[in-house]
Amino acid sequence: MRIDSLTMNNYRQFKNVDINFNLAGENDLHVVIGKNGTCKTNILNAINWCLYGDEPHFSKESQRLPILNVEAINNTNDGHYCSVNVMVYIKTNQGKYMSFERKAKYKIQKGDGKQPIHQGTEFQVEATDDDNNTKLFSDEKADKQVERFVPKKIREFFFFDGERLDHYFKEATAQNMRHAIFNISQIDLIERIEKRMVILSKELRSEAGKQNPAIEKTRESLENYENNAEELVKRIEESTKQIGIAKEKVKECEDNLKGMPDVEKLESERKKYLNDRDQKKDNLKEKFKQKNSILFDYGKIINFWRPINQVIEIIEDKISKKELPPNIDADLLNKIYNSRICTVCGTKLSEDALQNIADLLKTFKLSKLISIELLTSLSPLKALKDKIEGFKIDIEKVKRDIIQYEKDLAEIDKKLSNIDKMLSGYDENKIKQNHIDRKKWELILEIEQQKVGSFKLQLLAFKKKIEELKKELEREIGREERLKELRKKIEFCQKAVIFVEKIKDQIMDQTRKKIELRTKEIFFELLWKKGTFKDVEISDSYDLTLIHALGYPCLGSVSAAERELLALSFTLALHEVSGFNSPILIDTPVARIDEEHRENFGNAFIRVSKNKQTILLFNPAEYSQEISNILDDNCSCRFASKLMTNEFETTLEVL
Amino acid sequence: MAKDRDRLFMDKDDRKLYEKLEDEDLFKNKSRKEHFLYAMAIGFKCNVRLPLESRDGLFRTTDLRPEDESLIKTLALISTENNLEILSNKDEMYTIAEEYAHGGIRLIIDRIDSTPFGAYELHCEKDLFDTFNALNIE
Repeated sequence: MRIDSLTMNNYRQFKNVDINFNLAGENDLHVVIGKNGTCKTNILNAINWCLYGDEPHFSKESQRLPILNVEAINNTNDGHYCSVNVMVYIKTNQGKYMSFERKAKYKIQKGDGKQPIHQGTEFQVEATDDDNNTKLFSDEKADKQVERFVPKKIREFFFFDGERLDHYFKEATAQNMRHAIFNISQIDLIERIEKRMVILSKELRSEAGKQNPAIEKTRESLENYENNAEELVKRIEESTKQIGIAKEKVKECEDNLKGMPDVEKLESERKKYLNDRDQKKDNLKEKFKQKNSILFDYGKIINFWRPINQVIEIIEDKISKKELPPNIDADLLNKIYNSRICTVCGTKLSEDALQNIADLLKTFKLSKLISIELLTSLSPLKALKDKIEGFKIDIEKVKRDIIQYEKDLAEIDKKLSNIDKMLSGYDENKIKQNHIDRKKWELILEIEQQKVGSFKLQLLAFKKKIEELKKELEREIGREERLKELRKKIEFCQKAVIFVEKIKDQIMDQTRKKIELRTKEIFFELLWKKGTFKDVEISDSYDLTLIHALGYPCLGSVSAAERELLALSFTLALHEVSGFNSPILIDTPVARIDEEHRENFGNAFIRVSKNKQTILLFNPAEYSQEISNILDDNCSCRFASKLMTNEFETTLEVL
Repeated sequence: MAKDRDRLFMDKDDRKLYEKLEDEDLFKNKSRKEHFLYAMAIGFKCNVRLPLESRDGLFRTTDLRPEDESLIKTLALISTENNLEILSNKDEMYTIAEEYAHGGIRLIIDRIDSTPFGAYELHCEKDLFDTFNALNIE
């Protein structure tokens, strides 16, 4: 199937635009190039709106505008009606034509801030049958026709933003894969049967409960446990999804940080070193002060070492000669001699006595004052002498400390310089942000893993209890003869649920294997590096693994282009396995691919377009020389979207 | 008998020299008494004793601690060839100290002025080591 043309009337910026996707040559490849804001993405929205009635790819610019073309609103009188309609013409594999048309009618209101009033939407499908008769379908029947073109549930694999390719194997891969395979497997019916059987089983048990209060009590308890278990399964799924996302995010951060310095750690080390440096500098300053103080103090006394020793010798000599301390008070003797009266007994002294005093005074050499001066000096002088002798010890100690601090400072400066070298040339904020993000996601990962572990344990306990209660209920129901029929029905429902679950798993498994095989085949067919990879695997738990030629899993380390190619291969495999070989329309398909790989990707699209209609919407930057060289001559049509000067209308020019 | 001295003096012209000492790390945060004793030591070491031409009070005698007094006494005794009588004349002892400090402060400032900025301490350190080594202290 292919889209033959797309007609848009009054749809957003497209006033009256027809795009004919004519096939020219062997490549059913069509390219639309338009600047951002020229409503290129609204082509994607127009198809979605026409087929499914919604616009899942809104840009901010579009959100501000009504679906009805602004120019058309301006040209319509107040109170009059105006319609928007989009038609998608398709050509089936059998060469028949179908048209899908959605039309919405609006009543125009003039005035500030007044929006057109929606009057109703019509959707109809026109198809030709085998006898070339035209048939019209509307309402539900029209929707069913759409389901035969691209089912709504799997449209995301046919019409999508190129970003999807980039993200597909980056976040919660297993969940994405399971979701895709489940949808593609088209096992809704089986699931509905399963659900119905579960409900029926519950209803039957409820009926049994009405017959006997003991049964009702057990039933209620069982239902309670079943509900809790169901809730736990949902929570496990949710947490598992979060784990997938967190793992990818941690990996993404780690990839971003590969070869980058651990800025946070380095910053913290740097801070510590800076503090240490300040501390050491202060200490060094203090040591220099101490050294100066020593130099000053010793400078004051060192030259007196010899004189001090001499004076000490004099004093000690006098002490040894018992001249110190003085045993006679010379002043008192002088006083007695002069007064001629004994100051002790008050008697007048004889001439002999006076002569004795005079003789005594002649032998007395030191005055009391001098003696005191000498004696009081001895101890301080000895202390000074000792101090001088300790000069080298004191100064060497402080010098050693200074040398040590200087060494420490040099070492710190070296470390700081190394850190600066490591950090120079990097965007520190970006690196820091990556570290913060990694920590955040690691924490989420840990929390979610703990949650899953705890939920699984609870679930295990619940399942055990459920089994016990089921048996108990069976026994209780079995005891009642009148509930024999009911018991048989319940047993049947339970067996049916198990059977249906098994079938569902088998189908899913078969689909998974088919998709795995086709993904691998398509990937290796489109891949430009033939010898790098060996295999593509989708495990039982829906984890996709790309195996390197050397045998190790390498999805996390491949280039964006290779990862997107794998996602594209997977998408194309889904198309095939689903049986819907409908067109693929990708908005901004190579925006996240570096220029080096764009040429390869362009070639891949050409190969895809040989068997499938491929519509690609590029912005001019994305449609680089590399892409242009490859696609210009290999695509069926190229269009350029241009915004008119009034900014309310976009036109498409054929290039 | 003359009244005991209550202060020690410097030459009036020396005030600016003592103030200049403040700029050198070695003399920072030291009192005027400490500066005086240091200058006295340098004057004694270099044997430069200059009488004061005009006196200006520098610090109080009460600021002197026993070890400071001992140094001044030692200087006085050595300068008078161990004449113990000098110890009974404080005024004379202090005068001797003032004259050596007067000579010393000039030597210090000359030395400071003739050494590169920040190098004075290194000279002092070297001098101290040379002096200490010459003392042959075991």
